Amino acid sequence: MQKKSGQSGQVSLSRREFGMLAGAAAAGVSLNMIPGFARRALAAAPENAAQIIKGKSAEMIVHNAKLGVMETPIALLRKYQYTPKEILFVRFHYPHEGEAAWYASLQPPHRKDWTLQIDGLVQRPRTVKLADIEQMGQVKRVSVLQCAGNGRSFYAAKQKVGGGQWKNGGMGNVEWEGVPLRHFLDEMKVLPSASVRWLTAEGWDQPATPEGSDFSKSYHIDDAALDNAILALKMNGEPIPAAHGGPLRLIIPGFYGNMNVKLLTKLMLMSEQSPSVFQSLGYRFPLMPVQPGQFKANDYTLGNSRPTYGHQIKSVIFSPLPEDKPGAGAVEITGVAFNDGMAPITSVQVSADGGKTWQEATIKPAEDPWAWYHWSVKATLAPGTNTLMSLATDALGRSQPLDGLVRWNPRGYEWNGVERLSITV
Amino acid sequence: MRLGSLSVAAGMMIFAATAVASERIELPPGPNRDLVYARCRVCHDLQYVVESAGITGDNWVALIEDMGSYGLRISSDDRDKIVKYLVTYLGPNPPKVTPSSAPPAQAEVNGKDVYARQCTSCHQPEGVGLAKTFPPLAGNPDLFLDRLFPVYVVLNGLEGPAIIKGEHYQGVMPPFDHLSDAEIAAVVGYVRGAWNNDKLRPAGFVKVDAAAVREARNKPMKPSEVHAYRQARK
Repeated sequence: MQKKSGQSGQVSLSRREFGMLAGAAAAGVSLNMIPGFARRALAAAPENAAQIIKGKSAEMIVHNAKLGVMETPIALLRKYQYTPKEILFVRFHYPHEGEAAWYASLQPPHRKDWTLQIDGLVQRPRTVKLADIEQMGQVKRVSVLQCAGNGRSFYAAKQKVGGGQWKNGGMGNVEWEGVPLRHFLDEMKVLPSASVRWLTAEGWDQPATPEGSDFSKSYHIDDAALDNAILALKMNGEPIPAAHGGPLRLIIPGFYGNMNVKLLTKLMLMSEQSPSVFQSLGYRFPLMPVQPGQFKANDYTLGNSRPTYGHQIKSVIFSPLPEDKPGAGAVEITGVAFNDGMAPITSVQVSADGGKTWQEATIKPAEDPWAWYHWSVKATLAPGTNTLMSLATDALGRSQPLDGLVRWNPRGYEWNGVERLSITV
Repeated sequence: MRLGSLSVAAGMMIFAATAVASERIELPPGPNRDLVYARCRVCHDLQYVVESAGITGDNWVALIEDMGSYGLRISSDDRDKIVKYLVTYLGPNPPKVTPSSAPPAQAEVNGKDVYARQCTSCHQPEGVGLAKTFPPLAGNPDLFLDRLFPVYVVLNGLEGPAIIKGEHYQGVMPPFDHLSDAEIAAVVGYVRGAWNNDKLRPAGFVKVDAAAVREARNKPMKPSEVHAYRQARK
């Protein structure tokens, strides 16, 4: 939106613009380092999420309008136990234009002609109608859905990583409902070859040019996470909106967003994983710690890296936020924690003084292993600047690194450093 | 700036406005910025470029190399120019942009060159486009819809369904208003004369010059409004 003219040429930014700049500042980039052109560009960009994807909240933070990429302000995210479709983050890889314009919508697609193909090293390839999948027995899974790039902007404190500068809002807690994947594959009786090692999922969306790589993801056929996977038909109790992958989406609870293939059209049983660059190069994490300059964005191989599978354990502070303007004195610090669902979250430690002292938060049990856990703790804010921190640990002893930058990686994935939030009272 | 058209936009939310953001994102002026506008927006808008500002030169090199695997197809010469621009103006230490600095003096503008630099990634070198995705310019009667229509498209972009040479298109073309008046006049003139398009030219058709482009630039439209303009004349 257009800025209001202040005195002597000052501009006041909208909340979104301020949020973006504040995010850059939090990421260790001083405002002075943001070139003047970028400030102009941000201030002038007229798009809002409601124009980009029909039905989205205009308060979403847009990262790319042409692709419909947007994240949720935490002040919105914290209002709901199940993140509503109007505010759930979106990440697509190709322009939702032309023949793809239909999925830039929160309406469930009316695609009764939709089919799912099961093919590859099988004796009996099948094509199954959506209507037939809908007739099969369904289960519910509450799981955090989180972009692998969520928190990418925080890596800039070590060295800035290219791409959308996500803060914490590329996540949501969602109730999915659908047909268990393994049961479905058994029912199809496709008779896979003994050489099948990988399951590859593909969606309807296509690259902008014929030279672009198609998006597909592969999983070890024996991965235990697939035991909980579903062919999801519903999100938060209603048919999945097109913008979130409806009418059919592969949901692997506890896995990063990209692994949950949207607009699902094909399952391939193969001896090799997909050659898609979204599997072989993008959305990967180095197996060994890497340093800026030593290991670059195109140095990933199948041997030195792995796909971004399950969520790294993580906690995020929901309250108080700076915009709550809390006063000095007693305060309740609240937030959420989650992991890949392999073990329960057993501890969330919270500090209100930048890590000098810590106390245990009270954790509310989660309804499913992959859902977010709410936690809260009473603390005291001193006059001045308070650095709030939260550190989650699970029953396997996995916890968040105090310095998230130790996991710096050139594509900026899987940020799970201890949350730090500065509040000045 | 565009307050007027924004409030119009609020009342025109009939189409899913999909490409609204790409319109107004401006990169710092510098040599070969036009190549970034032309090539990168085929797949994504420039907010990614802006959000990535400040990454090191090495990272820009890697990022552009990476884009190749996601579908970017350019000559190594153009790639080097784009990398040089990004490393210089969106690297960790960009030169100060001085608003007063005058644009470099324009050499003789050649419409064929402008076309090759700016238009080929979508419309292809021979103007044949890409079926169902990017409309052809060769044999496209819209070129002669009226004197200024192609100028409006280049300046403002185009968004809305159209059937061209029997094929259905619904893509979104971003505005190319970073081109100068002379460049736009030249590229429109070139396209209208290339690939036998001359055969479509009505008798007595007046070609556009830079002055006409400047006049059109002073009356900005939204891409959907350019589409409405087209529909009203079909």
